[in-house]
Amino acid sequence: MASPVTEAPPASTVSGLKLRKSVATLTDADLASLRAALVALQGISDDRGYQHWAGIHGLPLPGYCVHNDAAGVFGNLPVGPLFLPWHRAYLYFFELALQDQDPAHAVTLPWWDWTTDPSQPSEIPAAYASDAGDGRPNPLASGPIAAIPDAQWEGDSGARQSLIQQTGIDPGPLPAVTFRQPGALPASPPGLPTPQDVQNALALANFADFSQQLEQIHNGVHVWVGGTMSEIPVASYDPLFYAHHAMIDRLWWLWQLQHPGADPPARYLNSPLPPFPSLTVSGTLDINHLGYEYALAQVPVEASAPGQA
Amino acid sequence: MPPFVSKPIGLTPVDVGAAYRRADLIFDGVDHSRHSYALRVFFNNPAATESTDRSAENGYAGSVYVFGHGGCFGDEGHCEVPEGRQPFDLRPPHQLTPATMWLNVTDAVRRAAQRQERLVITVVPVAARGTATDTPLPFERVSLVTYA
Repeated sequence: MASPVTEAPPASTVSGLKLRKSVATLTDADLASLRAALVALQGISDDRGYQHWAGIHGLPLPGYCVHNDAAGVFGNLPVGPLFLPWHRAYLYFFELALQDQDPAHAVTLPWWDWTTDPSQPSEIPAAYASDAGDGRPNPLASGPIAAIPDAQWEGDSGARQSLIQQTGIDPGPLPAVTFRQPGALPASPPGLPTPQDVQNALALANFADFSQQLEQIHNGVHVWVGGTMSEIPVASYDPLFYAHHAMIDRLWWLWQLQHPGADPPARYLNSPLPPFPSLTVSGTLDINHLGYEYALAQVPVEASAPGQA
Repeated sequence: MPPFVSKPIGLTPVDVGAAYRRADLIFDGVDHSRHSYALRVFFNNPAATESTDRSAENGYAGSVYVFGHGGCFGDEGHCEVPEGRQPFDLRPPHQLTPATMWLNVTDAVRRAAQRQERLVITVVPVAARGTATDTPLPFERVSLVTYA
């Protein structure tokens, strides 16, 4: 006879889909698995490791991320809006790399629900704060920046100087670590997005319209977090980047469920998403096809003791 | 980056339509090659600055946030957006191609129209660390579009 479930179950469903959970609902066991996998990933210096995956988004060159792209036809190639499909592909591959470092292959990227009532203070989630409460360094609080060539980091036009100009803080020579300035930059929105901001975006019926509005919300969060998160070249070295983008990806999924068939225009569906050779835009449309789902809650149900109803 | 202040535009039904469902402020040619910044939009408040409170009373209509590429980290010419494209060029567009961004200003236009028949649009660029006065306006043009 099987023992009653006494620990958090692995984040998976009966259909084999892995569950991405809200940061706010992560159990201690979930957090421990996530932190352990992240530390292991950061310990790998080759193309399976954190520096490789964080570097795909911005520096070192080439930076592959897609931001601020307008819909249109350039030459013979229809492009954009690819912001959402590209980042879904990015998180998919990053999450697989993380799972490779988890003995149970069960760790998933949590989503940071940053929606905040304007009457409440905007905050970084406690799980990602510098003091994790267990007396140990929290790998979710900052990430290492190590694998950027000197020519792109140092000098008057390097990323280090750019960060000084943008944030007023010198991250120093490499290896450096990411840092945040919540709400401190003058260009920051007054707070994190409100639930109404999200509802307004979700109500839009057109993909390009929704994508642009959601990207605006996304931009505001990056600037609100400040520090290395506030500039494209180094934003993805902060572990909070992945929780932020999981939220963006989740909102796209919610929008897809509310607007069935309102996908990117057909002419974009075969667009490649470099550097991910196995995915095109169409390959990103169904997150279940990519093996994951977003869960609001996962509640362990324990067997009652004999004689108890 | 001094604020952009528009010439007055009409807000009568003849100017913007009698029963628009939505109004967008569309920014074309938005530069995202350097630092992140915000474009704060105020209606009928030509004196608005970076320190103006973002309130409806001050005509605040919303903000566009630009997530910047932070500068150029390649060699000379790496960040120059090529003009035009050759036939059969299947490469994606340059990453720093200026963007089009839009801000839904439906409620703000309606509020303004209740008070005045003319609208002056002020766009205050706010750099990450405060206003820099030595850089050009970070967009090429802006237009107000209403939809039935």
